[in-house]
Amino acid sequence: MLQTPLYDEHVSLGGKIVDFNGWALPVQFAGIVQEHNHTRSKASIFDCSHMAEFRIRGANAVRAYGDLVCSDLANLRIGRSKYGALLNESGGIIDDLISMKIADDDLFIVTNAGPREAVANIFSSAGSGVEDVTDSTAKIDIQGPLARDVLVQELPIAAELNYFEIRSAEWNGEAIFVSRTGYTGEMGFELFVPNSLAVPLWRALLAHGEVEPAALGARDTLRTEAGYLLSGQDFQETRTPLEARMERFVAWDTPFVGKDALVHQRDQGGYPRLAAIASPDRRAPRHDFELRRKGTPVGVVTSGTFGPSVGHGIGLAYLEEEYLTPGTKLEAGPRGLEVSVVDLPFYADGTCRN
Amino acid sequence: MHPTDRKYTREHEWALDDGTTCTVGITAFAAEQLGDVTYVELPTAGKSVNAGDAVTTVESVKAASDVYSPIAGTISEVNQALEDRPELVNESPQGEGWFFKITGYNTDGLNALMDAAAYEQYLGELDA
Repeated sequence: MLQTPLYDEHVSLGGKIVDFNGWALPVQFAGIVQEHNHTRSKASIFDCSHMAEFRIRGANAVRAYGDLVCSDLANLRIGRSKYGALLNESGGIIDDLISMKIADDDLFIVTNAGPREAVANIFSSAGSGVEDVTDSTAKIDIQGPLARDVLVQELPIAAELNYFEIRSAEWNGEAIFVSRTGYTGEMGFELFVPNSLAVPLWRALLAHGEVEPAALGARDTLRTEAGYLLSGQDFQETRTPLEARMERFVAWDTPFVGKDALVHQRDQGGYPRLAAIASPDRRAPRHDFELRRKGTPVGVVTSGTFGPSVGHGIGLAYLEEEYLTPGTKLEAGPRGLEVSVVDLPFYADGTCRN
Repeated sequence: MHPTDRKYTREHEWALDDGTTCTVGITAFAAEQLGDVTYVELPTAGKSVNAGDAVTTVESVKAASDVYSPIAGTISEVNQALEDRPELVNESPQGEGWFFKITGYNTDGLNALMDAAAYEQYLGELDA
């Protein structure tokens, strides 16, 4: 298994290590619920160094990259970021991503560990200005309502950042990126640093009394409650952005790979869509549970868990249009757990936009 | 980690016999593996069960697992405290976090189970 620069830190903090997309990463430290609650009330740090990053430099490469992904980057202001996706010719999602504009001719792109190779191959078609910087970049997320108060003590520039903004900064004499983004629904930042800074920065953040380490387990419950999708699990190349409810991130008036197929699907209508389901009690729908409507199979749960902040079971699944109305009752899994279709997000009190 | 006053199953239940009643729960190892327990479905008292019957389920943040009866008999009592405090299974898996009690059982069924030393050895083999 691959190790991030923080592997030894995780082991010494008592992290329970698992294989995540080929990376040896902790699934929990103190416990998933405790880490989840700490992130919702104070601030936690997560090692996300397994994620992939690309640097796109030069006007030609930036333009060519913009013609690959479904986002409008030409009208994106410097210092701002945009969520989007890279599609195949059929409109299927190869990966979701965030494009961060450092300068008009300089982008920083964050994608996921699983599809990294496929994504890198397609990005390289944008020309020689494309560099996969994953192996030299560590990523530490600090998330929680106190994240900014803590981070400004290390990086004063954090105070200036609005939601989905990015700045270059310096820490310990080295260049880093500070991005006001995250995957928990809470106020927070993603820090992209050279590998050599990972351990000192992790320790510096952990030295703040309000900060605790958190791991993949809590990251998953936090993002599910916030209604964020997990690449490779909530969508693969067989799902389109329309099905995954990413329509507002599709720039229809710009070129992108898969556009013809996507326009066709949009005009045709009648496609299944991602739905949120909730159980009435602490029993949870689980990944791969079949969903039935009065005994007839209507879908499969893609993500399912107990939601510690909402106090009941929650899940995501693709359903045909006729079952999407909130309040629709379905049966889930071998025991026929009763669930209802609800609106996203499950947890709406996140502080990410504060 | 696993007390010597009781017997253990390969599915990680423990059974504590006081002569007339047998108390059943899941082992410290099982509780640790499950992580934070979020829900325990309690069985119905009065129901008769066979050894190996899936009697109830326990859910954690990560997963849902069946709990099997270690012996044949009648469920005489269930731990109502788990309804409001499923976390008792993590805090005290071999004490306050017990699941149910069985009466009307045959001690032969208990003798067939592992003692603490055998269970620890079994865990060692699982690890290997």
